[in-house]
Amino acid sequence: MTGRSVLRVALVIFLVLMVQQTVMVALRIGGAHPDLLWLLPITAALLDGPETGAIVGFWSGLAFDLVLPTPFGLSALVGCVVGYSTGALTTAADPRATWLKPVAAAAGSVGADMLFAVLGAILGQGEMVQVNFLSLILVVGVSSVVLVLPVNRLMRWALAGEGNRRSLVPAQADSRIW
Amino acid sequence: MARSRRSRRTLTVIVLVVVSLSLISLDQNGRTHSLTSGIKSVANDVYAPLRQGVLDIISPIGNFFAGAFNYGSVQAQNERLQRTIGQLRAAQLEQGFEKDQLREITALQNLPFLQSLPTVTAETVDENSSNFTATITLDKGRADGVDVGYPVVGAGGLVGQVIQSFHHTSVVRLITDGQSKVGVMFGNNQSTGIVDGQGPSYSMTADLVAPRTPVHKGQTMFTSSLDAAAFPPGIPVATVRTFSTAPGASQETIRVDPAANLGELAYVDIVQWVPST
Repeated sequence: MTGRSVLRVALVIFLVLMVQQTVMVALRIGGAHPDLLWLLPITAALLDGPETGAIVGFWSGLAFDLVLPTPFGLSALVGCVVGYSTGALTTAADPRATWLKPVAAAAGSVGADMLFAVLGAILGQGEMVQVNFLSLILVVGVSSVVLVLPVNRLMRWALAGEGNRRSLVPAQADSRIW
Repeated sequence: MARSRRSRRTLTVIVLVVVSLSLISLDQNGRTHSLTSGIKSVANDVYAPLRQGVLDIISPIGNFFAGAFNYGSVQAQNERLQRTIGQLRAAQLEQGFEKDQLREITALQNLPFLQSLPTVTAETVDENSSNFTATITLDKGRADGVDVGYPVVGAGGLVGQVIQSFHHTSVVRLITDGQSKVGVMFGNNQSTGIVDGQGPSYSMTADLVAPRTPVHKGQTMFTSSLDAAAFPPGIPVATVRTFSTAPGASQETIRVDPAANLGELAYVDIVQWVPST
């Protein structure tokens, strides 16, 4: 990533962090709230491949780790894994497919939350698997499908000029995804 | 070329995973935990005012969409009323615990009584920032005399305990959190037990209560006055919802509800109290 992209990605991470901690935490349904964090590595991976997904996932996770009461470094680890996995699993997918972003967002976010809870429990915080997983999956899954488009637009702006694989798609064709 | 790119990609991911695991290891290690805690503290000191600024901007918009034109003042008034109700409920429950008698006993034993302890009133600025923990963030921190381990009361009883204290904010683990354990006493016989949080989505339990211990529905459990207890004695913790004893069981199965209304935590009191060692 270029210096300009790094600055833009940092700005997007900060913006998403603020929205998450001020707006999203208040939207609580059945004890769960939407989780925007995982959409950052997922969209970065869809736009620029697994390496960028992992890097964005690590730094965005680290930023969230600074303000969450969960173990420091856990979000960074999960973000890195989710970014890389999303990029690796969707490499062969048609980037113009309308289903790609919603499916990747829902599956990636729910999978990330599951991994987060299990790793937290392994690290001695057993209460992290004592949540209402049904409402968590529904809330995080549905909200990720709804919110992936604006986050994707922000990430596309942040990664503009990276010569990424998705930018090879003609802008007109790519706009159909929206 | 493609192979070189692939190996670089793999190396990047491996490095990031190793760094993440190292950070987790530093955080989990008792000796180096202060390092990660310090980083978090500095970050929170920077982040808290920014977050508050954003909230100041978006709150009026939220209030507008919420309905009434004077919603903000009504909400503030409502929060003040909730706080008053919480204090009244706490006072009422404490009277049920034979307050005067307890005061005499604790004075004899040189134990502090809650009402004689200094407190810091704080406003809740954030609730459950993670989907996996039951915590609240308060607008008071080290600069206001708040330290890790201090009990937090409000809305009719014990709310939780300070687990992180930054310069101007602090994080409180609620008693419903899965890591929360509170030693309690209840009944005329001063029976003891431990109220265990089971996570934000599940009801709390009272454990280590001997079989056939007299207990009744609605009975209030208070923080115990045992030596080295983590909380001052006499704070209402929970009320009994259901109880039973299975044949051959080594303890009663008791489900309890928090004495404090954890849905009304606009304001709380942080008790400046540390356990005796």
